[in-house]
Amino acid sequence: MEMYIDPHLHAVSRTTDDYEAMRKAGVVAIIEPAFWLGQPRTEVGSFKDYFSTLVGWERFRAKQFGIVHYCTIGLNSKEANNEALAEEVMELLPLYATKEGVVAIGEIGYDDQTAAEDKYYRLQLELAKEVELPVLIHTPHRDKKKGTTRSMDVSEEHGLPPQMVIVDHNNEETVKEVLDRGYWAAFTIYPHTKMGSDRMVEIVKKYGPERIIVDSAADWGISDPLAVPKTAALMRKNGIPEEHIRMTCYQNALTAYSQSGQMEESDWLAPEPVDQRLKHAGNSVLRGGQTPRVEGSSEAVEN
Amino acid sequence: MSASNLSPQVIDYLIDLLSTQAEADSMNWLKNQSGEIKGSAKAMKLYIAFGKASRHFDKVPLQVSEAQTKEAEQHRKGFTPSAWDKLQTARAILILSYPQTDEGLWFKTMNQLFETGDMQELKSLYAALPILPFQDKLLERAIEGLRTNMTLVFDAVSLDNPYPSEYFDERAWNQMLLKAVFMQRPLFLIQNADQRANENLASILIDFAHERWAAGRNVMPELWRYVAPFFNDSRLEDIEKAVDSDDIMEKQGALLACHQSPFPKAKAYLSKFPEIQRDIKAGKITWESIGKTFAETLIKN
Repeated sequence: MEMYIDPHLHAVSRTTDDYEAMRKAGVVAIIEPAFWLGQPRTEVGSFKDYFSTLVGWERFRAKQFGIVHYCTIGLNSKEANNEALAEEVMELLPLYATKEGVVAIGEIGYDDQTAAEDKYYRLQLELAKEVELPVLIHTPHRDKKKGTTRSMDVSEEHGLPPQMVIVDHNNEETVKEVLDRGYWAAFTIYPHTKMGSDRMVEIVKKYGPERIIVDSAADWGISDPLAVPKTAALMRKNGIPEEHIRMTCYQNALTAYSQSGQMEESDWLAPEPVDQRLKHAGNSVLRGGQTPRVEGSSEAVEN
Repeated sequence: MSASNLSPQVIDYLIDLLSTQAEADSMNWLKNQSGEIKGSAKAMKLYIAFGKASRHFDKVPLQVSEAQTKEAEQHRKGFTPSAWDKLQTARAILILSYPQTDEGLWFKTMNQLFETGDMQELKSLYAALPILPFQDKLLERAIEGLRTNMTLVFDAVSLDNPYPSEYFDERAWNQMLLKAVFMQRPLFLIQNADQRANENLASILIDFAHERWAAGRNVMPELWRYVAPFFNDSRLEDIEKAVDSDDIMEKQGALLACHQSPFPKAKAYLSKFPEIQRDIKAGKITWESIGKTFAETLIKN
């Protein structure tokens, strides 16, 4: 069965039905970027609990369905505009940035492109350099083209190499410059708006598979947690070579984010022994060559 | 019990244990971090090292010799590093290195670790409870740890850990046991559980068994262990029902409980199953064997 990675998915707002469907469709790993919650938070404690959920409960929840969960940590651009709060959040970030399974600083960048957004974007680029993590850039939905160019300009001003930076929410207008400058170009597949699967197929046809990453960014809005496997299916139907599908829907995300040292294929193909105390000698139930682990049934907790 | 003076010895013990099974570079990193944390009360130093330990140590189970197991017992009764992995051992060394002279500061720093911990970090923190200082003031923290639904974290408090049986009152203890049954955790790894068996717990567990049966589901075989000391005529009827189960584990568990029970009718009932009785007497059927087999069936299903 094909394996997919969805490198941008806000799992806190998805149901267990989604997790089950994703696993069935071949999603073996997801990355959950820290973002806002649809409305601005007013207390730093809300950020702390949110970040703790990303590295704690959500990781456990995904595991129950045989999906390995990673996350990125950062202060999003929208909430960077509350400067008093932003200062407090910045103090929290180092505590989370170096934790296991944190594969990038993100998603950061611009929304309204205000001075405050610029300030915290730059501070977090510096943090990424310090902790040696890749950066996930959220490009603005409005004034996107200029905002995308500016995001890359500022990143280069701070000396980050393009191969350490994933630029997300691209479209036909931004992709060429992002690829030409050596960045990873991620595409969020949304039903109805922004990028659709059919447009994605055309982009892969035009630009090839190199450094292109497909994701769902599924969250609490209209979105589809199966966007990656569905786009792969559409590519297949349109005659895109299997290797190109593998790169855009699996391998490129793995290559980009494994630069963190916090993500590798063996995490889902050959996991570390889970609990030796409960296993009899020779029991290999939890290990298996190329079969992704599904340790769900023994871990599932009734509520 | 104040473990404040215990930490340096436990640190040395754990460093010795880990040294033989970790990379020299990783051990050097750990010793440096431990030294720097000892020399400064700056919490951020500990936080960063605590997180970054995963870049130096993996989660492979710790190999502990018999002599080393005994030594652990000497440092702290019930302390079971054989249930630990390398990463959590390194993390235990780091938290024990943090200065304990200012109790208020120590709790402030540890609370932040508990509140911001990832799944594996929480596991290492809770499993370290028995070797932390200020034992009697960690009670609420230990109980809080059991409110999780993350199996790994629940296990760190409840399994292979002497803390609950020493500090929990009956209410908290019974909650832990009941939740462990509910989550189908391996009960045989709960320390001193026979000593803490009580009538209230037996009664709650019987109610739980009835609920499971009403829902057409099996009852976890290890459950009967904690009912065994409190058998009576009506509970023996429940036992007979469990023995009638198609599930061999459930049958074995119920009959092992009869073997352990001081209730004379239970012994008489057991004698109707001579083969199982023989295996029980020969030590072939134990709570450990039942618990392990049951856990395996969970993994396979």
